[in-house]
Amino acid sequence: MTYNKTILYIVACTILFLYGTFAFSQEPETSPPSNVTAVDTPNDDGSSITVTWDTAEDSGIVGYKILRNTDAGEFEEIGEQLDADVSEYKDKEIIKGKEHAYIVRAITETEASVDSLQTGAVRATGQWFHSGKIQLFIAMIIFCGSILGSIYLSRNNQEVFVRRIPGLEAVDEAIGRATEMGRSILYVLGLGGVSGPATIASMTILGQVARRTADYETTLRVPCNDPIVLNVVREMVKASYLDEGRPDAYSEEDIFFLTDSQFAYAAGVDGMMLREKPAAIFLQGTFYAESLILAETGNSIGAIQIAGTDSEHQLPFLITACDYTLIGEELYAASAYLSKEPMQLGSLRGQDWGKVLIFLTIVFGVFLELIGVNWITTFLQRVS
Amino acid sequence: MKRQIPLILCFLFGVVMLLTQFSPHSLSQGIYEEVLNWARIITPFALVFSTITLLQTHITRIRRQTEHWQYSFLVFGGIAIMVVVGIPFGPQNPVFEWLFNNVQLPMDATMFSLLAFFIASAAYRAFRARNLEASLLLITAVIVMLGNVPVGDLIWNKLISLTPWADTYANGSSLMKQWILDNPNLSARRGIILGVSLGVISQSIRIILGIERSYLGGGD
Repeated sequence: MTYNKTILYIVACTILFLYGTFAFSQEPETSPPSNVTAVDTPNDDGSSITVTWDTAEDSGIVGYKILRNTDAGEFEEIGEQLDADVSEYKDKEIIKGKEHAYIVRAITETEASVDSLQTGAVRATGQWFHSGKIQLFIAMIIFCGSILGSIYLSRNNQEVFVRRIPGLEAVDEAIGRATEMGRSILYVLGLGGVSGPATIASMTILGQVARRTADYETTLRVPCNDPIVLNVVREMVKASYLDEGRPDAYSEEDIFFLTDSQFAYAAGVDGMMLREKPAAIFLQGTFYAESLILAETGNSIGAIQIAGTDSEHQLPFLITACDYTLIGEELYAASAYLSKEPMQLGSLRGQDWGKVLIFLTIVFGVFLELIGVNWITTFLQRVS
Repeated sequence: MKRQIPLILCFLFGVVMLLTQFSPHSLSQGIYEEVLNWARIITPFALVFSTITLLQTHITRIRRQTEHWQYSFLVFGGIAIMVVVGIPFGPQNPVFEWLFNNVQLPMDATMFSLLAFFIASAAYRAFRARNLEASLLLITAVIVMLGNVPVGDLIWNKLISLTPWADTYANGSSLMKQWILDNPNLSARRGIILGVSLGVISQSIRIILGIERSYLGGGD
């Protein structure tokens, strides 16, 4: 009896030992990635599908691989292995117009893998409107509406008050001074290309300056650093001289290409200033580090200098070294200010209404934030 | 008619390019890229024209023997060398690279370094305490300049150590500098940027609608 009990005891222990050894040698079961979804990527041209899933913490997963279905109906791996904390993959190598399904494969420390359920088939389509830019679109409609409305009202010759801009008032003074001294006028358009708003604004001022130099028979020198700007400027100045009835006074040689290199251009213009000693210098347009090199050299020769730029980093330099400076928006108002055309002046009023609106939005937003309401801030921050 | 066609084109392209900014569709982005490519194609032609213009300018100078006309030969020499070395062998060839690295870059650096002296002379004029505003500017500039160099905090900490608030107000020089840059300076810059942005919108509308047409040459 004792012998049987001993045998039974040994068998029970062996079974327990074997079960324990077997049970504890197994890896903890890794659960497959959950909540796997595949959707057409929003706000794109229909060239990608976004796959998302939930990451599991402390699950032994070291990364994920994405599988996409093939024409044969099988799934193949795409892209590189993703890190364990990644929960989104944007597949940009899809075939447009074709439906795709995905599986997310979790990779464990022992290189074992667990696949998720297959997602539903998704077809990517391009969106016609970027919903992340709805705020910008609304703002554009409002600003454009205020400017167009003001232009429309000004067609009825409504009086538009424009505050005095000293820099623009001084244009005649500068040209008159150059004429009296018998010296030339140097007009520098900056380094911007023809598509730059500041360059376009500068060219419109140049057109007005050219009309006056045509009247006064003063030499106008324009060194350009952009080939396209050069051609447009030549046409503009020529047309201004024609409009003033002085085509004979126009000299094409005075409007020339210098170089497209930033500091070589600065050196060239500085050289012109020191050699020719122009009586008036206009620095209007987009400027970078060369702004102070030009303005200080102009200052050293005693020329009257009128600057204008939208590069806010260069404004302090120009304000310091020049006699007059058009600050930011004044540069864009110059054309309307000098031409006095009612419709152009109307656009300035619309611009001011835009500023009032921004100011009110800021004040309203600050007030709402103070009382704990932040929907306006969230709405504006959602721009993508 | 000479003016109407460019104005119509300007209106159409202006409106279409504006709408492409709000549409990610492949058709919209295709139009956007295509128009940009057209603009890029114009540039090489304009560059050839500009080079001819540059040569004409210097030929005229030599012919008329204006002041320093001899330097115009350097322009021809420079263009000739870079064309002879650059066009057949490409911009990656050693001679072209040597010329770029040992001639153009040092000259650019020389011009750029002049900025330091110009900043000093401009700062001397700007920071003269002639009136209240200029005095405020001077004080602010001194604070920002001291805050930008380690000796600023060193002086501040030395002075503040003589008071009971040494621990509370340590490194005050750089902190004051940062406050000036982050608050009054940034506010003013953002104000200017807002004004500029609205100015650009306003000007763009004037151009698209054909109200502003001086870029076509002439006013009317």
